[in-house]
Amino acid sequence: MASEAQLPLAMVGPNETARVARVRGDADLRQHLAELGFVEGSSVKVVSRAAGDVIVSVKGARLALNRSMASRITVVL
Amino acid sequence: MAETVIGLAGNPNCGKTTLFNELTGSNGYVGNWPGVTVEKKQATWRANREVTFVDLPGIYSLSPYTPEEVVSRDYLVTERPDAVINLVDVTNLERNLYLTTQLLETGRPVVVGLNMCDLLKERGDVIDTAALSERLGVPVVEVSALRATNLDELVTKAVAAGQAGKAQAGARCFSPEVEEALGKISQIVSDSCDASLARWYSVKVFERDADAIKELSLSSAQLNQAEKVIKAVERSRDDDAESIITSDRYDWISGVMDACVRKAPKKLSLSEKIDRVVTNRVLGLPIFVAVMFAVYFVAVSTVGTWGTVWANDGVFGDGWLWNPSDQSAYETAVEEYDAGYYSDKIDGFIAAAEADGMSTDGVADAVVALAEDPSDADAQAVVSAFVAEATAADVVATDVPMHDGDGNFLDANEEVVTRIDAEGEPVLADGQELAVIDAVTVSDFEEAVAAQEGAPSLEDYGSFVPSVPSVIEGWLAAAGASEFVTALVLDGIVAGVGAVLGFIPQMLVLFVMLCFLEDCGYMSRVAFVMDRVFRRFGLSGKSFIPMLISSGCGVPGVMATKTIENEKDRRMTAMLTTMIPCGAKTPIIALVMGVLIGGSDAWWVAPMFYFLGLAAIIVSALMLKKTKMFAGEPAPFVMELPNYHFPTLKSWWLHVWERISAYLKKATTIIFAASVVVWFLLEFGFAGWEGGNGAFGFLSLMEGVPEYYTDYSLLAIVGNAVAWIFAPLGADTWQAAAASINALIAKENLVSTFGVIYGIGDATENSVTMWSGFAGMFTDASGILHVGAMCAFVAFNMLDAPCFAAIGTIRRQMDSPKWFWFAIGYQCVFAWVVGLIINQLWELFVLGNFGVWTVVAFVALAAMIFQIARPMPKQGDSEEKILSDLSESAA
Repeated sequence: MASEAQLPLAMVGPNETARVARVRGDADLRQHLAELGFVEGSSVKVVSRAAGDVIVSVKGARLALNRSMASRITVVL
Repeated sequence: MAETVIGLAGNPNCGKTTLFNELTGSNGYVGNWPGVTVEKKQATWRANREVTFVDLPGIYSLSPYTPEEVVSRDYLVTERPDAVINLVDVTNLERNLYLTTQLLETGRPVVVGLNMCDLLKERGDVIDTAALSERLGVPVVEVSALRATNLDELVTKAVAAGQAGKAQAGARCFSPEVEEALGKISQIVSDSCDASLARWYSVKVFERDADAIKELSLSSAQLNQAEKVIKAVERSRDDDAESIITSDRYDWISGVMDACVRKAPKKLSLSEKIDRVVTNRVLGLPIFVAVMFAVYFVAVSTVGTWGTVWANDGVFGDGWLWNPSDQSAYETAVEEYDAGYYSDKIDGFIAAAEADGMSTDGVADAVVALAEDPSDADAQAVVSAFVAEATAADVVATDVPMHDGDGNFLDANEEVVTRIDAEGEPVLADGQELAVIDAVTVSDFEEAVAAQEGAPSLEDYGSFVPSVPSVIEGWLAAAGASEFVTALVLDGIVAGVGAVLGFIPQMLVLFVMLCFLEDCGYMSRVAFVMDRVFRRFGLSGKSFIPMLISSGCGVPGVMATKTIENEKDRRMTAMLTTMIPCGAKTPIIALVMGVLIGGSDAWWVAPMFYFLGLAAIIVSALMLKKTKMFAGEPAPFVMELPNYHFPTLKSWWLHVWERISAYLKKATTIIFAASVVVWFLLEFGFAGWEGGNGAFGFLSLMEGVPEYYTDYSLLAIVGNAVAWIFAPLGADTWQAAAASINALIAKENLVSTFGVIYGIGDATENSVTMWSGFAGMFTDASGILHVGAMCAFVAFNMLDAPCFAAIGTIRRQMDSPKWFWFAIGYQCVFAWVVGLIINQLWELFVLGNFGVWTVVAFVALAAMIFQIARPMPKQGDSEEKILSDLSESAA
């Protein structure tokens, strides 16, 4: 894992698929994101992206995240 | 059979509310906006009244993250329903099963319903229900909530499970290491809770969930013991406890998925393709603007306006014709009649006769009497005597001005003359010519009188439906009601409530379209697109939906704020959303634009006022965000985007009805009461006029009362008492204060109040007389119109506390007197300050006046700019829902 480059989800381009490496933020927020499917290792597909705001497909559901939320999710491509 | 209580649980948008409605037949609302079911709904089963369903809010988990989750878990853990139906959206199976694993731990019998299997089949995926049932250890039934298939089987299984009372003790979904730790914790908590909840509390203690731990009231020794167990697992996994729990659940679920679901190769779904376009960085906003423009074009400019005209002029006006062909025949007749300009001819001729030295006393009244009853002998005598005398004197009226239906002067191009002077005479622009009838002779006069007798009347048509006021008037007359009661009912109640109900057609059209946009899934995309814009001002994109709805009516607008999860964002939106001009404020806009530019037909007028409302909200948001009450970033935006779908007509209508009925309820309660109070203030007073005895009473029935007696009413006294508040705004008359008070019933009352106060009767906002009356209030002795004061007054009334109906809704939404009064207080103070700044800047820069209030205005302006520009002050952290160490909670 350490060898792969990590980047915030906000920087992943449309149509790219990434794996969640870790989620930053306070416990409540991490918990909430985890419930929505952002757990370590889960695969996230970026459906569309505009200035860091992203729409992603994760665990079969489509979610919209704004930039501040998307920057807290670190992924590996 | 004993009564059985079944809880319905599931993710947002899983079709749970549809299921609830199908099972109970109740009119719950089905929506596409995630998290719309916030209240707990309860109803009995249609097939068996002994089975009661409780509809829990749509949630993703039983963590303490949102109020919805807290409500649901409190219900499951403390109220203990007999069984739980967990409805699962199979198109999102993985995510939905996450909640299922938690529900299994609550120690209640669970039955899983797999919903939307038809959509899954379209995708080509297959689910092995038996294998899933085996893995979960509970019955699993394939259902379709929308088509009502297999629902009875689902409920029967749930009832059976509830009667057996045997709960599945939770799937063994965690890794062996965690399961072992949970076993140890289970022993620690076993004495403090019910055996069926041991699994639930073990997991919650492992997660260090503050609320759950408080319920257990464990000793600090027990907590330290548990902490040791948790720490050990955390160290070996190098992760925090709740992440371990979450990822173990998902690992287990992916195992289940692999075993039970066969997936077809993935294609880009239609929803994904649409999202590519409508949430596109470049196209997103323009598409949204175009959609909204279309919505408002239909709702405000075309269909909605027809409806409003029908309601105001027909149902609450002169009555209406239900047969369209009668209606068009009537309109043709009216057009022909209007083309004769008969009343202009009559008025002009009588005036000319008077100018020739004839006595015209009673002639005009006689003509009016004839129009109502052509066989009135007295009137006939007066008119024929007048005609005979005029024939003898050979009276001819020349250059008689023509008027349109609103009583406005027309120019030669049939355009309305938009300026009149203090005497009511038209003021013409250069090159403008007044439209006149060149000459009116005696025979023209006779013809006009005869024509008026046969003027087209709605009642002459077969499909005539009398108006509500006239029907009620008839009842009151039949019941022998006193003049006072008749006036109270007709002028107070029917007029007040009717004015409000008149907006329903327009609101209906607007909400039919907005609810469709919400239900089909587009609104959640809009919230996402707008979030980018709103975040800069400290508001969440979710605040935008309530504002859109408020442009129709603030009542459902404020109610729509309940879908905003973050409490601070929700309160702020509820407080500010009514600054968007609602339907009832459009007459005020028409009035002020009439004074300023001679009409409000220009295409940019309405958008400009929406923009001003939005600007007021943004300025407020920027200032409030830096106060302690609202501090903090808007909650980071994460929101599920449901698949696009065409809502069923039933759920669509229920949604529209929910919005409209909220407004109706207010109109028939709060506005009803307020109308009576204001009517009382307006109609009662002291006989202070010349020759009056100063006694208190019902003004219109008092001896020697002038025709327009509002000056002596209680409202005038109240208005005078508070007029000083408006002095710095440039309108220190009691009329301005009284109109503002009256506008609290319904904002468009501002216009009609001026009509009453200035004795222009029922002149509308489109009448030049009304414009000049309104302008007259802001015109000083030298005849200069004080535009600053007028704009300040209008700005105040657009931004201050909304009508009573919306105020009542804000109170219910805030659910706290402190927040409610803060909201109302802020709205009024902000509106006043904006008015002050407008007026004082005008005074200073246009009129060159400088005074104490100029200084105050500049101080206020500077304070606002400072508050907006200063950096965000540091604030303390919010309370934690998840503890970082269990020993903290023991302290």
